[in-house]
Amino acid sequence: MLTKKGKYGLKALVHLARLPAGQLAFVNDVATGNNIPKKFLDAILGELRNAGFVQSRKGKDGGYRLARPADEIKVGHVVRVLDGPLAPIPCASRTQYQRCEDCDEATCQVRHLMLEVRQAIAEVLDQRSLAEMRDMVLDDLSVARDIDDLPVAMKVQA
Amino acid sequence: MTGRANSIIIVGGGASGVVLAAHLLKSTNPDLRVTLIEKRPHFGQGIAYSTLLSAHVLNVSAAGMSAYADDPGNFWRWLLERGFATPEQAPVYAPRSIYARYLGELLDDLEAREKQTGRLRLVREESLSITPTASGVEVALANGTSVVAHLAVLATGHDEEPAQGHAIRMGSEADTALDPDRSVMVLGTGLSMVDAFLALEQRGHRGDIIAVSRRGLLPSPHRKGNPIKLDVADIPLGTQLSYFVGWFRDLIKENQKAGIDWRDVVDGLRPFNQKIWQNWPASAKRRFVEHTKAWWDIHRHRMAPEVYARVTEAVQSGRIRLVAGRVVDIAKGGEFTVQVQSRHTQRLETFEVARIYDCSGIVRDISTSSNSVVRSLVDRGLARPDPLRIGLDVSANCETIASDGAVSAKILAVGPLTRGTFFEIDAIPDIRVQCARLSKQLLG
Repeated sequence: MLTKKGKYGLKALVHLARLPAGQLAFVNDVATGNNIPKKFLDAILGELRNAGFVQSRKGKDGGYRLARPADEIKVGHVVRVLDGPLAPIPCASRTQYQRCEDCDEATCQVRHLMLEVRQAIAEVLDQRSLAEMRDMVLDDLSVARDIDDLPVAMKVQA
Repeated sequence: MTGRANSIIIVGGGASGVVLAAHLLKSTNPDLRVTLIEKRPHFGQGIAYSTLLSAHVLNVSAAGMSAYADDPGNFWRWLLERGFATPEQAPVYAPRSIYARYLGELLDDLEAREKQTGRLRLVREESLSITPTASGVEVALANGTSVVAHLAVLATGHDEEPAQGHAIRMGSEADTALDPDRSVMVLGTGLSMVDAFLALEQRGHRGDIIAVSRRGLLPSPHRKGNPIKLDVADIPLGTQLSYFVGWFRDLIKENQKAGIDWRDVVDGLRPFNQKIWQNWPASAKRRFVEHTKAWWDIHRHRMAPEVYARVTEAVQSGRIRLVAGRVVDIAKGGEFTVQVQSRHTQRLETFEVARIYDCSGIVRDISTSSNSVVRSLVDRGLARPDPLRIGLDVSANCETIASDGAVSAKILAVGPLTRGTFFEIDAIPDIRVQCARLSKQLLG
């Protein structure tokens, strides 16, 4: 599931994606503008820099900007870096697999279904770019109370 | 989607051309017309499979070499039926000449089957150029005639670029008889160097072989194993190269701790290699080709254990000398005096050799291709090189892209020519999947 770290990271990247190309943003502005604890944001931006999604400049005029165009960076790319393998439940991951102590995975229907959910998550997140996320119309978002009202047409193959 | 087209010309009748024809002809469409054009006398024998040497075996075991994406056991059954192998021998690395025979028979069967329908036509002639017309394409042949169809698919395979400088290609006309006791130099230390070594052995050559490449790395041997299971949800996509390499190294370490061979991790990644490549930023692709590919290749593109045993024995006995460095000078007297600068010490070392074989296997620049069809397409702007210039720029649907960025529904490409988009598309297991998908795309 998406952790706070993943959520904050995506918010910070959308913030950077709104800036004119090449312009740097102060970490403080990103933190206050998105309600993210500053220290946590520093750590998150550091990881995003290691993975090649953002660039930083030190000093008085320093800050962060996207390292690549926003339409090239897919949401799924970012989430894997911040939260690890996409998996709705720890037993439904291959590389970060954790056995559930309280059930038999061979017969567990929940796990079976969650493997399918994992595919669906990857399908959605790997199709959508930061640019698309940035351009979601806020009016539509505020009107969408239910998942069916979301302005995003999700086509997921089973 | 490229839409439905009934008549298709395949330019190039080597392995990829035959595999594509086989997949297209699975269609039941009675109006389908497939024309396969090959300049060599035999079909199914491009650079890889035209060797007659029995020591030149496949680098993939027989279980992985079926021509059909939906029938992976096809080649293995063929070997068993003809008594070329027995079940307990697996994994078998069959001679490439046997594989050429398999592809040849497969095409003979198709030709016999389609005799009544007229759906398959084989043309033994060199193609010179492809020109789009109002209704399709026209392929001009070296004999002055031309063939027309709705669309053409380039399946020209590996480029036979002329060798550089004084170096020659093994088996070319310049590869004349040689004093068997003289030293020779091979440019390259990969699988082509191994082929050259085996051919020299076969000819009774006894002299030393000095193999030079930037890093002097020898490919690893295969070992029986089971690729680990990975899922796309596990794999970091779209990151910088260093991040990905770090993740992959950690994955190998973790698996090794659990007693799993690194080969099973490398092979477990295979189903996702194209996806990983396609999601990388251009900078990661460039860095990979420049710095990481040599390491990746020796772990990913391995040789049969028997071949590896022969090569390492020759390296240990001093018969083959692997040199990491670059050739800085070649002087031609009676023989060649070659100066090589060591990668590690920067020192110059001089070698006297009777011949220099080019086994570097690097695509230098597709726009200078030795293939006239490819070159003329690029010259006229009908196709353009990919950003790394290792192949033609093609869409995810195999359509070539013109110099102005227009995607062509009439000129497509499969196999090694498409490596800029599909990355690992040199070997049958990948090419057959590409051909199956393209057939479905073209014919439904």
